[in-house]
Amino acid sequence: MARATGPFFSHLANVSEAEPVIVAAGVSKRYGRTAALESFSLEVSRGEVLCLLGPNGSGKTTFLRMLTGFLLPSAGSLRVAGHDVVDEPMAARRRIGYVPESVPMYRHMKVREFLAFMARLRGVPPSAVGAAIDRVVHALSLEDRLNAPIPTLSRGYRQRVALAQALVHDPEVLVLDEPTNGLDPRQIIETRNLIRSLAGRKTILMTSHILAEVQKTADRVAVLLRGRLKGVRSVSSTPDLEEWFLSLA
Amino acid sequence: MRMLALLTRKELHGTFTSPVAYTVATVFLLVLGYTFSLTLFATKVANLTYIFHQMYVLSILLVPVLTMRAFAEERRGDTLELLLTAPVSEIWIVLAKFLASYALILGIYALSTVYAVVLGAYGSPDWGPIYSGYLALALLAALLVAVGVAMSSLTENQVVAASGSLGVFLMLWFADSVGYLLPQPLESLAVGLSLIGHFKPLATGSVFLSDAGYFLSLALLALFLASRRLAER
Repeated sequence: MARATGPFFSHLANVSEAEPVIVAAGVSKRYGRTAALESFSLEVSRGEVLCLLGPNGSGKTTFLRMLTGFLLPSAGSLRVAGHDVVDEPMAARRRIGYVPESVPMYRHMKVREFLAFMARLRGVPPSAVGAAIDRVVHALSLEDRLNAPIPTLSRGYRQRVALAQALVHDPEVLVLDEPTNGLDPRQIIETRNLIRSLAGRKTILMTSHILAEVQKTADRVAVLLRGRLKGVRSVSSTPDLEEWFLSLA
Repeated sequence: MRMLALLTRKELHGTFTSPVAYTVATVFLLVLGYTFSLTLFATKVANLTYIFHQMYVLSILLVPVLTMRAFAEERRGDTLELLLTAPVSEIWIVLAKFLASYALILGIYALSTVYAVVLGAYGSPDWGPIYSGYLALALLAALLVAVGVAMSSLTENQVVAASGSLGVFLMLWFADSVGYLLPQPLESLAVGLSLIGHFKPLATGSVFLSDAGYFLSLALLALFLASRRLAER
């Protein structure tokens, strides 16, 4: 896959190589008396693939939604590439490519129209949209579906288009909520390979509740249970991820 | 402004690929044509006052159908998550929704100018009330569409959004009737909020800035509330 660097956002990087790209410090999210996430702190280094692992309802999606600006934290601070997501939301959002779990898309559009719209929405200048689309279409092998209406896409192609829209503005950070959810085995392997091919060049934060998937995709894993961070480990130094996970549960 | 243009184009594209816009336009123009022919043959008077009131009622009934999908559909399809995580202010998103629906209803009104042309060709209408009548309709539509968009921002259910908008429109329509039952200063407040009370003078040729101010200030308030609703995360 071609190196995914474009000219239009390279001037925006203002974080030194050593600084973590994602910094969460004491982040909480409460709905009335119910805490979806409690005192969550985490750092993700540049180029790292970190996976949030936990059962449904553990707060993984809530954290991603706060990081991307869809939800506001009730307490704590969240920084993306040096920008606070609450105080500098536009600067933070420009640096993120996001694929929500439900893989939302506009059903009245064709694939090319959708990618062009998302590129413009994320700040790609009109003159650079064509090249940006060509880059992600090539990277995700979408050439034969470029003029297909969105409703006609299979689940696998929908996932690819969703990844393409997340990459089209060449973000520093990629946020993927359950990226292999609902895919067949071949599509899971393709998605995993894509994520691994981006590792080192993009900082990737993803969620999963499948241990085997985490083991093969992530550099580090953070376990979330009932809205609390239970532990963070390097995948390479944790030969038995299952045993470690059960010891925390 | 480029972001507003981008979002408005996307909204218009969505509007014209859905059957709702065509259905509303067809119903509106068919009913209006029927009423216009009937009125003209019955009265043989070259004015459009009756037509403007007919358009007032049709707008109240049909604008909720046009605006119900604005945010409700984005919420239902989870695409609101794409919009709200992009580097774009909530107010542009709201304004784009407003402009797309407003452009559509103004387009429908524009098609109705054929009746004015017919009157001009076969009679000698007083053009003043016709111009002010269209001004009244443009102001009315701004208010109705803004409230419809605001109601749509509250729910993911399109029927709830449409019913809520219709409820607000009817309450504003009959606010003066309720006002007469209330003590001062509530009576003045209710009468001041009356939709028909501000529409009627404009539609019959009496242009007051206070009437225009009523429509514009309520429209701005509704758009502001919709953007605040989106900013609630």
